Amino acid sequence: MSTQVTIYEPFRAGLPPLRAYFRQLWSRRTFISEFARAELREQNFDSVFGQLWLILNPLLLSGVYFLLIYIIRGSSDSTRYAHLTASLFLFYMIGNSLSGGVKSITSGQRLIMNTAFPRIMLPISATVVALFKFIPTLAVFFILRALVGLPYSWQMFWAIPVFLIALLMSLGMAITISCINVYFRDISNFLPYITRSLLYLSPILFEATTLSPKIRKFETFNPLFSLIDSWSRAVVHASAPDMNSLLQSLLWALGIFLIGTYFFLSRERDFAVRL
Amino acid sequence: MISLSASNSNSQNSIHAEHGLAVSTTNLGLIYKTSISKRPTFKARLKTIGKGKKHTRLVNAISDVNIDVHYGSVLGVIGSNGAGKSSLMRVISGIIPPTQGKVEVHGSVSTLLALGVGFNPSMTGRSNVYLGGLAAGMSRAEIDNRFDAIADFAELGDAIDAPMRTYSSGMFARLAFSVAATVEPDILIIDEALSTGDARFKEKSLNRIKELRSADRALILVSHALATIEEICNEVLWLDKGKIMMRGKPEEVIAAYRDFLNVGKSAASNEDV
Repeated sequence: MSTQVTIYEPFRAGLPPLRAYFRQLWSRRTFISEFARAELREQNFDSVFGQLWLILNPLLLSGVYFLLIYIIRGSSDSTRYAHLTASLFLFYMIGNSLSGGVKSITSGQRLIMNTAFPRIMLPISATVVALFKFIPTLAVFFILRALVGLPYSWQMFWAIPVFLIALLMSLGMAITISCINVYFRDISNFLPYITRSLLYLSPILFEATTLSPKIRKFETFNPLFSLIDSWSRAVVHASAPDMNSLLQSLLWALGIFLIGTYFFLSRERDFAVRL
Repeated sequence: MISLSASNSNSQNSIHAEHGLAVSTTNLGLIYKTSISKRPTFKARLKTIGKGKKHTRLVNAISDVNIDVHYGSVLGVIGSNGAGKSSLMRVISGIIPPTQGKVEVHGSVSTLLALGVGFNPSMTGRSNVYLGGLAAGMSRAEIDNRFDAIADFAELGDAIDAPMRTYSSGMFARLAFSVAATVEPDILIIDEALSTGDARFKEKSLNRIKELRSADRALILVSHALATIEEICNEVLWLDKGKIMMRGKPEEVIAAYRDFLNVGKSAASNEDV
């Protein structure tokens, strides 16, 4: 007789057996996608108007910000508008991942209390939701880009690695913040301030090149700075991003992801009694 | 899964030798730390810095539990509120790791600790069958195969395609039970999830539980409905304050438990599930 034998023993602090954990996670992938789809449907993004809103919302926002820049600086151009839109859309993916991730564990209380599954599934599905919301806005950007008449080049393919780094960053942030929220529930109240600061400190309303060298010394401390700068260079200016800043954003993304995941995995066995 | 060291994982749902070991716990203990406040906040932490206020509380949920559950048997678990029944079920199913001792589980476990886990009320009954089934660890193909059976059992008719927030609580519970009862694991743990719907549906769900009893499956049933426990189970475990008070034949344990509670055969304790 050969059956699967599972042994549950007291755990010491630290990581669960990773191979078994990720095998479990992989076997649950359909649940992640179904869970994310349910979430999207709940927010009405399966209807035409829901989808339209998804595109309209960042588009209107970028319009408002464009107006703001125009009034403050007294002049602007279409490239600037394209830059604003592209960066804002990418920023929104990260922001949505954060705001969806923050409550993913606490609102998954019933699931966590009653079923055994890799808890990291919940923040992952928050990032999947953010990704699904991002995809239609990307299409809108490329239409806009064509209308404005920006140049194309092979260098634009740099957008793919930049995007993957952004996705890793979103995932890492969602995982980290969902875990913090279990212990400090008011982190979700701080979150709007965090995202707002990230928005204004990243090269979205302005371009990185316009900053004075004195201020640019501090850009390393913003995890999104080089990432959004590289994104804009690739998709708006159709040029290769600066390798240094690409590396910097990769290190930030990897750092947040690895530290957050370590923190999450070593804590998740505690979640069921903390909720 | 959680702190698991799986070995020798061949096919699930393989045939088990009758009376083979399904679940075995040795010196099982669970003491956990939980936050006192329902909603622990950073602000509350800051405000109480230096005041030596405690934010967490130790809960001694289970101590020294040694049980063996064999395939083909149905174990009933009884005890007053807070006796550690649900904690024990959560430890056995791997939701909470124990802090002492060891649990060995031979085979796949499905838990029915609460109804409608994973359901999303804004989705239709149909989508929720998939959501709930996937949450319970079934694959999409398995759900496809059993979908008609689930829908029939829940007796929802056309309402299966309506959003679940339009359901009555009875309809919700019926669908939730149907989904849960279709999962066919080696070991099924049911915690108070039987009191669903009207008398007729209760009868139906009880029959379903009886159907699930088979030689190659082990059932663990937690309930306050002593009559049901006596009827279905062939062994009963009585827990109190996290410790085993008694274990043995249903009639004997239930009689002792009734004596202990000093309630006798009152209507309330006898009430079916």
